[in-house]
Amino acid sequence: MQSSVFYFLVLTEELLYCVSSLFLTPESLPLPLRSLLLSFSAAAMGQGSPGGLNKQGLPGDRKHDGDKKEKKFEPAAPPSRVGRKQRKQKGPEAAARLPVVTPHTKCKLRLLKLERVKDYLLMEEEFVTNQERLKPQEDKNEEDRSKVDDLRGSPMSVGNLEELIDENHAIVSSSVGPEYYVGILSFVDKDQLEPGCAILMHNKVLSVVGLLQDEVDPMVSVMKVEKAPLESYADIGGLDAQIQEIKEAVELPLTHPELYEDIGIKPPKGVILYGEPGTGKTLLAKAVANSTSATFLRVVGSELIQKYLGDGPKLVRELFRVADDLSPSIVFIDEIDAVGTKRYDAHSGGEREIQRTMLELLNQLDGFDSRGDVKVILATNRIESLDPALLRPGRIDRKIEFPLPDIKTRRRIFQIHTSRMTLADDVNLEEFVMTKDEFSGADIKAICTEAGLLALRERRMKVTHTDFKKAKEKVMFKKKEGVPEGLYM
Amino acid sequence: MAVDPSPDSSNANDQTSNKAPLKDLKKKKDEKKEEDLSDDDLALKQQLELYVERVQDADPGVQKLALESMRQEIRTSTSSMTSVPKPLKFLRPHYGTLKAYYETMVDSDVKKYLADVLSVLALTMSAEGERESLKFRLLGSEGDIGSWGHEYVRNLAGEISQEFSKRQHLDDEPFDDLMDLVQQIVAFHMKHNAEPEAVDLLMEVEDLDMLVDLVDSTNYKRTCLYLTSAASYLPGPDDMLVLDIAYTIYHKFGEYASALRIALAQDNLQNLKQVFISCDDLVQKKQFCYIIARHGYKMSVDEEMVDNEDDREHLQEIVNNTKLSDGYLTLARDIEVMEPKSPEDIYKVHLIDGRASAGASVDSARQNLAATFVNAFVNAGFGQDKLMTVPSESSSGGSAGSWLFKNKEHGKASAAASLGLILLWDVDNGLAQIDKYFHSNDNHVIAGALLAVGIVTVGISNECDPALALLGEYINKEDSSIRIGAIMGLGLAYAGSQNEQVRKLLSPILGDAKAPLDVIAFTAISLGLVNVGSCNEEVAQSIIYSLMDRSESELGEPLARFLPLGLGLLYLGKQESVEATAEVSKTFSEKIRKYCDMTLMSLAYAGTGDVLKVQKLLGHCAQHLDKGETHQGPAVLGIALVAMAEELGLEMAIRSLEHLLQYGEQNIRRAVPLALGLLCISNPKVNVMDTLSRLSHDTDSEVAMSAIIALGLIGAGTNNARIAGMLRNLSSYYYKEASLLFCVRIAQGLVHLGKGLLTLSPHHSDRFLLSPTALAGLITMLHACLDMKSIILGKYHYVLYFLVLAMLPRMLMTVDENLKPLTVPVRVGQAVDVVGQAGRPKTITGFQTHSTPVLLAAGDRAELATEKYIPVSPVLEGFVILRENPDYREEK
Repeated sequence: MQSSVFYFLVLTEELLYCVSSLFLTPESLPLPLRSLLLSFSAAAMGQGSPGGLNKQGLPGDRKHDGDKKEKKFEPAAPPSRVGRKQRKQKGPEAAARLPVVTPHTKCKLRLLKLERVKDYLLMEEEFVTNQERLKPQEDKNEEDRSKVDDLRGSPMSVGNLEELIDENHAIVSSSVGPEYYVGILSFVDKDQLEPGCAILMHNKVLSVVGLLQDEVDPMVSVMKVEKAPLESYADIGGLDAQIQEIKEAVELPLTHPELYEDIGIKPPKGVILYGEPGTGKTLLAKAVANSTSATFLRVVGSELIQKYLGDGPKLVRELFRVADDLSPSIVFIDEIDAVGTKRYDAHSGGEREIQRTMLELLNQLDGFDSRGDVKVILATNRIESLDPALLRPGRIDRKIEFPLPDIKTRRRIFQIHTSRMTLADDVNLEEFVMTKDEFSGADIKAICTEAGLLALRERRMKVTHTDFKKAKEKVMFKKKEGVPEGLYM
Repeated sequence: MAVDPSPDSSNANDQTSNKAPLKDLKKKKDEKKEEDLSDDDLALKQQLELYVERVQDADPGVQKLALESMRQEIRTSTSSMTSVPKPLKFLRPHYGTLKAYYETMVDSDVKKYLADVLSVLALTMSAEGERESLKFRLLGSEGDIGSWGHEYVRNLAGEISQEFSKRQHLDDEPFDDLMDLVQQIVAFHMKHNAEPEAVDLLMEVEDLDMLVDLVDSTNYKRTCLYLTSAASYLPGPDDMLVLDIAYTIYHKFGEYASALRIALAQDNLQNLKQVFISCDDLVQKKQFCYIIARHGYKMSVDEEMVDNEDDREHLQEIVNNTKLSDGYLTLARDIEVMEPKSPEDIYKVHLIDGRASAGASVDSARQNLAATFVNAFVNAGFGQDKLMTVPSESSSGGSAGSWLFKNKEHGKASAAASLGLILLWDVDNGLAQIDKYFHSNDNHVIAGALLAVGIVTVGISNECDPALALLGEYINKEDSSIRIGAIMGLGLAYAGSQNEQVRKLLSPILGDAKAPLDVIAFTAISLGLVNVGSCNEEVAQSIIYSLMDRSESELGEPLARFLPLGLGLLYLGKQESVEATAEVSKTFSEKIRKYCDMTLMSLAYAGTGDVLKVQKLLGHCAQHLDKGETHQGPAVLGIALVAMAEELGLEMAIRSLEHLLQYGEQNIRRAVPLALGLLCISNPKVNVMDTLSRLSHDTDSEVAMSAIIALGLIGAGTNNARIAGMLRNLSSYYYKEASLLFCVRIAQGLVHLGKGLLTLSPHHSDRFLLSPTALAGLITMLHACLDMKSIILGKYHYVLYFLVLAMLPRMLMTVDENLKPLTVPVRVGQAVDVVGQAGRPKTITGFQTHSTPVLLAAGDRAELATEKYIPVSPVLEGFVILRENPDYREEK
């Protein structure tokens, strides 16, 4: 129910999360680890056939065929699949995942259900802490770990997995020298192995003792906005309608998904911001990044064009994969026209590559895999040159136009930019506000800066009206490409 | 006001003069702020400020006008989801002044108007916990509540619930004023598709009765769905209250079948009868009877329910399940699985590579016994097989005997009884075929035949009571195996019927000090089954006495566990009613006391989802005991029993059981697989399957055995290929160990139960109802499995036949109004939880279209794919009567 209960719901969900993260990590380890060590010691450093036990999956994974009877031999179950790496499950490990609580709307039933789950988690916690007190397992874990470390040996060398032969053998190559046929130790998670992945090898016998997981493409990790930009919504003059639209399309679906579910619609996936240069598209994106707590990834269209064939699409894929992993997230692609122009018969390989990059982008925006909590913001000033497929509803649902500022907005923008300047008393900004020339937000900023510079040149402490006048002429002169302002008026 | 205007005006003057310096100060601040505002906003702001001033004017006319326009501003402001509406924002600084002014006002219409406005302003202004919005609402004019928007109504609802709980604590103030408001709000929510919110508010103020008047035909379904699903998560008496309301609403709107389901869930005979009385449609009544029959509820249709005698007979027939066998065989013919299968068809030895078949001859008696069970399970209800019924066609009659006599001693009892399972539900034919064994001179064969009679009549009532007539005379025979056969047969045949005659027959045995323990144990179980969930004092007394009479050593025997179990069955799902008996059980001998305690608690709260009980049971499992204590097994099973009520608890219980596996001692580890089997019965969840597969290789052979049996239970009647494959591998893995191999065979038989047409799940009707007799049968079998070596692997393997109680076809069979099978297309798919969703969401996903009769797996739901017919039952499961749709037009 209402405000009080909302608060309570938030509380419970947080609690649930705390509880689950609190005690689910340590307890999943001990048993499988211990038992597999027993069998492992029998296997001669990974060469030859290991004694039966075949540990698969992450610790805590339930699949773990145990044959603890010495007298019998059972061939290890083959890995459930070889080759492609398993998609990483989101959130806590699959085994420890909590059941989904169904009505997403905030209501008492949901509260009751969440409380039920919480009750069970508390009981689990009570039980586990009790048991831990009775027979602590920390020490044992420590021991087990050190044993595994012994078996791994040190130093380890890094190699490349060329091919998997069977469950326990593979062909590997180290950075120097030839390829070897070696064993895979039983504690290596075979579901994660795939040809071509980086592995850790024992320094002498070269058996596979571990797996290096390259997490994120460094190219993508730079795109993440770590430090929120300083520009906030308050720094935007006017554009009220645009702000509201972008909030509805990008922020609300991430913060209040249930509102959309109530109405029974799917929230928009993305928006495109378009308009003349200097009208505040990037500024608005910055403000979104400033105000949201979601992961914000920003790319410039030109970054997606890469030197080697296939790298561009790969980067796009990687970008969206990271966005999905870190969801909820917002992907902002500035200057999308760099890759998103209409398709035509291209003659050079480079052009074709750019088009392929766009095709990958199309697929990521509305392709086979659904991206739940990833919102996309595109920005361009040449919307007419973009490929229509990119802009169709379903990919980009909302097109937000940024017009040149009208008089009211212009006044606001002047106010924003002059608010920190020391102005002489004679400055009458209204004159600039009311002028018929077409200013963009950037032009106004330029005028203010220019006026300030002029004042600086004359070592004045205040900016006068004439400064502004001159500045305006200068800026407009530049803008109209050398034709002085007012010449034909 | 007109009487004395002077204080008012002076007041106003005072204020203005007081405010003058203040205002100056404020102005400066404002000036700074104003820079940020656009022209429109500024104008609005000034306008509002003007209104605020005018409100404080002396002239009531001006006041009223000002208020009216202020109100207009607030209402018309288009609020966006992302920000506070502007008028509200600008009025924020004036909230205090308005409030202060309000206090000084004399009662009048204007004052009420102002209260309204203040109430809305308080939405954003009032401090947490002050509930000013509510306060002013109560003081204001009682206008249309919705006119201020949803957010206001929501906020108000929240404040009402706070206020209510506060007043409840002080319990001095009446709630009348609140209730009027609640009524308005609920009506508003109901009109705007927000049934959950309406129900929530009413639950908060503990007045759900109001709901009955406020629902209408467009939203009662959603409301009731919400109520029923909330019921399983509510504590204590609240859940019953909620169900009562749901029942009343269904009843009011003539949705009798749904009302009946709720009456069954509450186990409320009164309501059940009322449904029959208020419904005057014979076809619907027939449908009711089908639902009741599936629930295993033994009921006699009386005159009050139906006037016409022919109709009554007809309905009674349905309740008695007489046509169950026909329906089942129709299904089997439709799916073309009539061909009998031999155990070898199930083992599929050719799929296992190498050695397995070689060692087949280790223990042929046990092998044959396993084959008997597999044969019985697989061909259950089909009336024909390749071992037991073949010879009736051949003239010699030799080979029938030959299979029977391939079993040793007590094995013959199970073999003879397997005939009962093969002929399940087909009473006439079954009794005729079983009859020949009565003339055998082998006591075991006679015992088996007696048991077979019981099995054949499971779930079928008959006016002639053939089972009672046949079995009654054997109850007091010398030979204990014959006695057990007859007793168990009676228990099965009359499970849930609360038959007086059976009770009178069996009760004396308990008092018989000379009777051996096994006879007593089976008598207790049978009495428990017959009177399941009845809280019958007399039966409870006699079991308690016999528990007290028995010597220490006897109570230490494995079979002694059946005595407390029988006692527990009497209170199955009856919660608090068990307490008196539980007190008595504290006086029992040391050996059995704790076992009894656990069993009683777990059974009494079975299917309630009571978290506190789960916690208690977990607490018992947390102890590390000395050897010899057995009560932790039932405690583990108890966790499963209590938690199996709803999906969430089920999932969470599976997690908890995982911890038990890691930390528990052997006696706990042995019970965990069984608990998992109970939680996911006939519902092969992959994660549970993996856990059990791992445990089936455990070093402790008893853990492995229960894991194997549990694999059979979770796959029961599903023909699940993955489990079948696992079991085949296990059979080759354990080919040298007779007892483990026996378990593997049983599990294989269970997986192919009824060739995949049957289910063991006690839940039905969309997992909403829990059949007590089915559950009782399962529990009995699981308790027996707690000591596998001495019961199932010993000479009491026929306890496996207790599973018969839970066996029912997992079909959807559509029939027309004359109960003739009707083939229509249906969509079958994964059920989706649609509670609390607006509109008409899809109820199934990933569906396929079949034509009836069709099989439904666990978690499946069906819906008609044609408009031509209208189902009489809200849930498409089991037998469903279809009615022609009068509005249907054939498309051309």
